[in-house]
Amino acid sequence: MNSSAAATLHTYQAKDFKSDLKPIWCPGCGDFGVVQAIYRALAGVGRPAHEIAFVSGIGCSSRIPGYTTAYGFNSVHGRALPIAQGIKLANPDLLVLVAGGDGDGFSIGGGHVPHAVRRNIDITYIVMDNQIYGLTKGQLSPTSPRGLKTVTSEYGSLEEPVNPLLYMLAYGAHFVAQGTPADMVGLAQVIEEAIRYPGFSFVNVQSPCVTYGGEEVQVKAHRAQMKSLVSLGHDSGDRLAAMGLAQSYGRELHTGVFYKDPSPPPSFDALVRERQGALAGKAVPRARILDAFMQK
Amino acid sequence: MHLHGTMDDLVVGLAGSGGDGIVSAGESLISAAGYEGYSAMMTKSFGSQVRGGESSCRVRISTHRVQNPGGVLDVAIALNWEDFLKFGAELPVSGSTIVIYEAKTGIAPGAIPLVGVSPKEVFAVPIMEMAKQATGTDKAKNTVVLGLIAGWFGIGRQAILRGLEKRFAKKGAALVQANERAFILGEQFAKEHPLATPRVMDRPVGEPGKKMLVDGNDMCAAASIFAGCEFFGGYPITPSTEVMQFFTREVWKYGGAVLQAEDEIAGIGAAVGASFAGKKAMTATSGPGLALKTEMMGLASIAELPLVIVDVQRGGPSTGIPTKPEQSDLFTAAFSAHGDVLRPILAPTSVSDTFDVTVEAFNIAERYQTPVIILSDQEVAQRKETVDPIDTARFRIEERRLPTESELVDYARFRHTEDGVSPISHPGMKGGNYQGAGIEHNEHANPTASGSVHAAMNAKRFRKLSPLKTRHDLFHIEGSANAKLALVAWGSVAGICREAFMQATAEGLDVKLLVPWLLYPVAEDIYREFFASVRAGFVVELSHQGQLYRILRMFTEVPAGVTSFVRDGANPFQPREVVAKLRGAALSLQQPATTIAWEE
Repeated sequence: MNSSAAATLHTYQAKDFKSDLKPIWCPGCGDFGVVQAIYRALAGVGRPAHEIAFVSGIGCSSRIPGYTTAYGFNSVHGRALPIAQGIKLANPDLLVLVAGGDGDGFSIGGGHVPHAVRRNIDITYIVMDNQIYGLTKGQLSPTSPRGLKTVTSEYGSLEEPVNPLLYMLAYGAHFVAQGTPADMVGLAQVIEEAIRYPGFSFVNVQSPCVTYGGEEVQVKAHRAQMKSLVSLGHDSGDRLAAMGLAQSYGRELHTGVFYKDPSPPPSFDALVRERQGALAGKAVPRARILDAFMQK
Repeated sequence: MHLHGTMDDLVVGLAGSGGDGIVSAGESLISAAGYEGYSAMMTKSFGSQVRGGESSCRVRISTHRVQNPGGVLDVAIALNWEDFLKFGAELPVSGSTIVIYEAKTGIAPGAIPLVGVSPKEVFAVPIMEMAKQATGTDKAKNTVVLGLIAGWFGIGRQAILRGLEKRFAKKGAALVQANERAFILGEQFAKEHPLATPRVMDRPVGEPGKKMLVDGNDMCAAASIFAGCEFFGGYPITPSTEVMQFFTREVWKYGGAVLQAEDEIAGIGAAVGASFAGKKAMTATSGPGLALKTEMMGLASIAELPLVIVDVQRGGPSTGIPTKPEQSDLFTAAFSAHGDVLRPILAPTSVSDTFDVTVEAFNIAERYQTPVIILSDQEVAQRKETVDPIDTARFRIEERRLPTESELVDYARFRHTEDGVSPISHPGMKGGNYQGAGIEHNEHANPTASGSVHAAMNAKRFRKLSPLKTRHDLFHIEGSANAKLALVAWGSVAGICREAFMQATAEGLDVKLLVPWLLYPVAEDIYREFFASVRAGFVVELSHQGQLYRILRMFTEVPAGVTSFVRDGANPFQPREVVAKLRGAALSLQQPATTIAWEE
């Protein structure tokens, strides 16, 4: 848990985190549910909006920080994670959230993900996975299923999709969960749990694209398909079991926590603080920093 | 050089194979010279191998301020000829050079493989043999070389011995003594074989132990921490990596952090994030990395975030020549990142002024909430210089303008102000919440596609930077105001032109010199004023295209007689070549107009 998070003198409500900006999303977009779940999760965590930095990349879902009252940063495509890590290292007291789409996170920004995971900086990464590029009007995305016909795959996709859950588990993430706006209570819960987790946490949200997605991926279908991991008796402290379940990504819709490391290692930002503390006494005044170059 | 047996300036070039300790000999020499109070500069050059292969260095020592690595060698030291010759124009030998080489090469002094030149004096010295005699191994060859230099030219005896003791003390007294013996053997050899024309260095003017010895990258990093930088994000790339390395040693002590990122984009991305979070932040790279960072630089411009980006230029494009200087990134520094954007560019010209330029870069970045590029180059960044103490008290450190209590009521992050600078909040500041964005936005930071808002925001982002164009303190102008001849030079080439300017002035040429720290935006009026009296001259640059010359012609009027004097990277200029160009230009101005008419 964030060190200052314990000091919840105020109680917050979901509406405290809702901004006045009207979302640009299509009516029925899954992202409406995700932002609602984030409001609830933030209310549950109880940090004031000005202590939250919410970073995103580019895409429909990356508009999400603007719909919250937090400090937001709608940055460039695929680069939300590096920016968020810089924010957290610059000010570890902040609660740092990152959000974006599957293209942002697993295509253009895919190279940043394993490093954010292994560094284990205490941020929460929420991917709104809709298996399509919506903002550019319906092209293949890295999580599009093989065979999917889109405007860039006239005869069907020839590629296997990325499996975000399995990737994250294999990269060594200490907290991996999945949710859907079809289960708002569950979604808000896993997001809150992810934020409270002391280290890098990942939540994949199956967030339907109402415009370019088929019937089978809409919220209505999710309600019929979803299976909570708790109901399956899954032990969320078992990484290998989580990897086994994660293999059915794309075929099954599991919700809840796949993996939560029961003994979280120290986060990078915590280690940075430790190092800063250990070395603080060795600083010469800034005005005398050149003294070390003197030929004495 | 003086003819009467003393001299005020000495350029020594050394070459050998990787294991010969050439660079450490150079380091010892410059360190000793600097300690004694000389002004000195050292440049290094290697083959492409990480270990082994050929290696060389040049050390210039002077009683005057050394402005550049110097031209023709006064002393050339070859531990083997094969490696020496690989450096070609970097170690030029002429009829005035004293050549010293390893006798074990078996080549007779009359048969050394230097084509088309008869050096002043040539010595075959049993360097390896003396090293073995002194220490039992040939490892102390470089120490013997130091003894030769001290013996022949009178530089640094005490300081070198002191340096040897410091360097080898940890390895035991026996090794210290062995190296002392090697030094003394070299020194004795020199005494026993005096130069036909003895040349001994004049004594330095200053007191011993009063100078710094530092390279440009370390100076840049130290200046950044002095300026209050608390975050570095970057990725290793030659020849800028030492900036990050310095940060990894020091910044934690000041409560800051370093992120060695997974790539160039993440490096600058993390720095953008740290700046958004309210900290002074920077990244450093070279050409290929700058190419990767351009989208993030555009983001920092539109999000109006302070950020310093160091580009240590090397030969390009692409991998190019990573270990040699070139001034060919100016176009990309000025014009990359799409959209209408103005990003200030500053260029240091020496290790010493790297401090001033770096502090200024942070001040401009913070004051105007903009990315600023420090356009260094391999030579300035990696050469070592003796630097006189810098009085840090004369520098003002600027901080970004935070919103006041009343400005936080209905806070408008991008509020239109007269000077274009809007108070900037950061996460953690209550009431300052806003959406930073790469998307165009209104004063309240809400996204917009409005053409009129876009135009007003562009105008604001350009307006805030316009005061830079009248910053005379970012330009160094020497010479008489009415001079008809002119030199313009930036970066490491400025040091060549400063010396050329002094020589030309001493010969009576009517010349003035302009060295800009600020390259972009182009300070039109400052150049116009400078060029007003000028009829001929040169913009001297180490690149194929002459990028500053072309940018000047794009933004301001350059007299027709002022042309571009360029040389591709890795081909250093020498001051005398610049002086020769000025002589030619002066002659052309003296042609009577009738002659030209007659020729027609």
